[in-house]
Amino acid sequence: MILDIILSGLINGSVYALLAIGFSLIFGVARIVNIAHTAFYMLAAYCIYYGTQKLGVNPALCMLAAIIPVTLIGLISYRLFIDPIREHEGAVLIATIALAMAMQEVMLLIFSGDFLGVPHLIEGYRMVFGVKIAYQQLLTFAVALLVLAAVWALLLKTKIGLAIRSTAQDREVANLMGMNESRVAMITMGVSVGLAAFTGAVIAPLAIVNPFMWMHPLIMMMAVVVLGGLGSIKGSFVGAYILGFAESLVVFLLPMGAYLKGSVALSIMILVLLIRPEGLFGIAFEEER
Amino acid sequence: MKRFDRGVVFSTILFFLIFSPWVMPSDVATAQAIKVGVIGPMNFMQGKGHWDGATLAAEEINAKGGLQVGNKKMKIELVKADSNEFISMTDATNAMERLMTQDKVNFVVGGFRSEAVLAMQDIAMDYKKLFLGCGAAHPEICDRVGKNYNRYKYWFRVTPMNSKYLVQVCLINLATVNGMLKKELGIEKGKVAIVAEKAMWIDPMIEAIKANVPKMGMELVGTWRPSDKATDVTAELTAVQRADAHIIFTIFSASVGITFARQAGELKIPAAFTGINVEAQKDGFWAATQGKGNYAVSMSTFVRGVSYNDLTDPFVEKYISRFGELPTYTAVTYDAIKSTLGEAIEEAGTIDTEKLIPIIEKAERVVVSAPKAKFDKTHDLVFGPGYATGITFQWQDGKMKGWWPNGWQGVTYKGMAPYKLPPWMIEKYKK
Amino acid sequence: MGILGFYLRKLYTVFKGEVLVLPSRIIVLLFVLVLLLLPLATQDPYLLRILILTSIFAIFAASWDLLSGFTGQMNFGHALFFGVGAYTAALLNLHAHLPPWGSVPLGGLAAVLTGLIIGIPCLRLKGTYLALTTLAFPIILMGIVFAFPDVTGGELGVSGLDRLSGSRVTDYYITVLLMLALSTIMWKITDSHTGIIFHAIREDEVAVRTAGINTTRYKLLAFSLSGFFAGISGGLYAHYMRIAGPANLEVSMSFTVVIWAIFGGVVTIYGPIGAVFILFPMLEFLRFWPEYRMLMFALVILLILLYMPDGFFPWMRNKIEKECPRCKIRNMATRKACRICTAQLD
Repeated sequence: MILDIILSGLINGSVYALLAIGFSLIFGVARIVNIAHTAFYMLAAYCIYYGTQKLGVNPALCMLAAIIPVTLIGLISYRLFIDPIREHEGAVLIATIALAMAMQEVMLLIFSGDFLGVPHLIEGYRMVFGVKIAYQQLLTFAVALLVLAAVWALLLKTKIGLAIRSTAQDREVANLMGMNESRVAMITMGVSVGLAAFTGAVIAPLAIVNPFMWMHPLIMMMAVVVLGGLGSIKGSFVGAYILGFAESLVVFLLPMGAYLKGSVALSIMILVLLIRPEGLFGIAFEEER
Repeated sequence: MKRFDRGVVFSTILFFLIFSPWVMPSDVATAQAIKVGVIGPMNFMQGKGHWDGATLAAEEINAKGGLQVGNKKMKIELVKADSNEFISMTDATNAMERLMTQDKVNFVVGGFRSEAVLAMQDIAMDYKKLFLGCGAAHPEICDRVGKNYNRYKYWFRVTPMNSKYLVQVCLINLATVNGMLKKELGIEKGKVAIVAEKAMWIDPMIEAIKANVPKMGMELVGTWRPSDKATDVTAELTAVQRADAHIIFTIFSASVGITFARQAGELKIPAAFTGINVEAQKDGFWAATQGKGNYAVSMSTFVRGVSYNDLTDPFVEKYISRFGELPTYTAVTYDAIKSTLGEAIEEAGTIDTEKLIPIIEKAERVVVSAPKAKFDKTHDLVFGPGYATGITFQWQDGKMKGWWPNGWQGVTYKGMAPYKLPPWMIEKYKK
Repeated sequence: MGILGFYLRKLYTVFKGEVLVLPSRIIVLLFVLVLLLLPLATQDPYLLRILILTSIFAIFAASWDLLSGFTGQMNFGHALFFGVGAYTAALLNLHAHLPPWGSVPLGGLAAVLTGLIIGIPCLRLKGTYLALTTLAFPIILMGIVFAFPDVTGGELGVSGLDRLSGSRVTDYYITVLLMLALSTIMWKITDSHTGIIFHAIREDEVAVRTAGINTTRYKLLAFSLSGFFAGISGGLYAHYMRIAGPANLEVSMSFTVVIWAIFGGVVTIYGPIGAVFILFPMLEFLRFWPEYRMLMFALVILLILLYMPDGFFPWMRNKIEKECPRCKIRNMATRKACRICTAQLD
């Protein structure tokens, strides 16, 4: 039983971690709460569905190929709708909600509301410590760690990563130092949406593809990011696993209450915020201090 | 002054543009046509079924020149109304009201989500228009007819069966599967696990099953209630397997049904399935589970190759050739319009609602969705041998095969096939 | 007769001097008149239904603005108050047989209690943290609703409630008059001493604290007031639809009210109200394109946000009115000189 909980928690947590890292990135740098983040993930899932079911393309190829159109759409919508109103935080919030709704409606129009499925990258399952785990789930776990390592490498070892970090710490001073702040925001947006698309590739086979699939992950993802502390990638990672374990605990210890796992996870988030209002690893930004 | 004028004129025009549609005169029904409103979630499979079934019925009737009402013929005119009931209850009630006041329909068929139908029913009853339900199974909807006949007598549930009967069928199916386990694998005391989504209509079913399982010589090893939109039930499946369950009794009506079937197939859980899984009724289920939903069981009204009487096969074939997919139970708007309404109108010689009600109450019609259709005192569909029973089917290698009723109380429909156990289960238990 | 004539003439002078002078006030007056006199022109039940629902949601949106616009506490879970108000009114009506004029205010009070309960954890949170936390509350309540289906009716909700009144027209007048009354009360609150403190808390909470004002008390007050009005709108909704269900707690309800309020303009009470009156009928109007309805809605929102980021009504207002640089009084845009201090208006 303990083993079940641990393994299940790790897998759940990985799913949330993948989503939360991208969201945290764009929030930390550009202070944009991108409610449409999971909607991009949905877009990627549909692209993969279209590629594998209608065009008959190899799933792995589809997944890599899906990243490109989704990132493009992300960048274009950022340029058209979000960049002009970046100063008004409230308006940006609404714009991203409207964007997500628009994407949902377009998907509903093209694919209708039926439930669809996407094939696994690797079929089959494996007995791990006596528990059956599908290969796709193991893949999710591995990819989560990989992505974290990649983002860490990007932020700490590359020049663009340096630009992103300094813009996050103090936008105006970064501008003074010669970094084109709006271009950095654009690049971060691209990376964030690309991450969302990549996540879609990994998680979509585990989920049911339908135009409303973006709402539930959105809530959990925001809970994870808030718990971990906005602006902190490490915090999102840790928060994801905490909430993933919380959900598994609920399912295993309370089978009759398995549907409560969402509520319990959110309650934990609120409790932590009561004690530490910036989240576990939250960084308060210069403008807010 | 100019800018002010422009501003005022612009605002006034905007104001009237927004409000004008309702002060424009609405369409008056042409004297020669009977207007039937079809209300359902049109962006989803259920609403499409409503509309497609109704279209087939209307076309067949109009091809003969219309219904014979007294000494003149009247054609059927369908009005599509999107209730959007999955997303917004407000939209559903607005749509119903619009049908009543703007489109001025004579009859309404459709409805799906029980919560929305309760609200829509009230509106139809306010306007005293016949509302034939084709989708909501909750007992409360027909109980109201019993409690307040004069107000709710305009409602009839054409399909599906009351969820109380669903429980009965489930238990019968459970007994059949148990018998098969005894015969093929020598399992004397079957262990049953219930995995049911969290929904109120399911709670009484679970109680009924819990009460009956020991009486049937089986043991209940646990009840799991995932959320209806859960995208991962591997935790539940792992726990079920640990409990050594032989039979998994599923009750799903939402997307979790697909998730469950797929993950159970992937992880090759050694158990036999029975119960309800509404998503499994659709053709798209096989693709949605990526072919892993083998051996999933559910109930349906239409299964390819199974017919209740001579009318079923031609209807199913026509539907498939026209719309490219198997009809689901919401397409029984076909029966609602053609048989329940159509035949009653021709018998009565009038479209006066008050005169039609007694005829519909007493009638026994041969329909495509059952050997015979009849309503009981609370205007609910009658269940039993010779009447509506539904078909319990199982997905076998990409095809839906009906396996019940097969010798139940003398009833066997044409086209039945035997129930199959998953090979990995046989492997595990065969001595 | 002389006294009456005096007061009538005084009314006329005040009217001419205060109301007719500004186009925005004229529009408000016309709006109120049209709303009140509409049933004399047409009694189409469909139209009345749309307007009744619009009025109910207008109260709801205005209450959000009171909390999140004025006090700056971004509340993404406003559906919580709506749902609590709806369920309380429904349960009281069904089990205690309280008529609507009793159950709806009690629903409002229950929402006030909820406001206090969630206000306390939210005191230390700011900005996005607050928004995301408040998002969680209705979801938790929904879990509780499903956990006790015998009391709350699970996903079916509580049905079989009394109507608001006997006829559609009476319903209409009840909701419209309530909306006008409650909006006026909210307007007066924002114009009062409390209102100024709300503005101040939004701008700079630390400064308010250094001025010696107990911000905790005022923030909780904001939560409670907002909850009260939202709860009332929830109760009205439940009685009008005659059912209170988990749909009242959905995330989409919270998001929709935020969209309305920001579209109409935050930090104004008339903004959200006007926005609901434009957007809700527009959504119905777009019914003849059932597939494209929500898409058009979303696109309209995006376009409005691009060109009028402060909200539609403040933008409109700035087009038809000008502020005097010297005395800060608003004037009609076509004037050359201020009507009070005669300074030049550019």
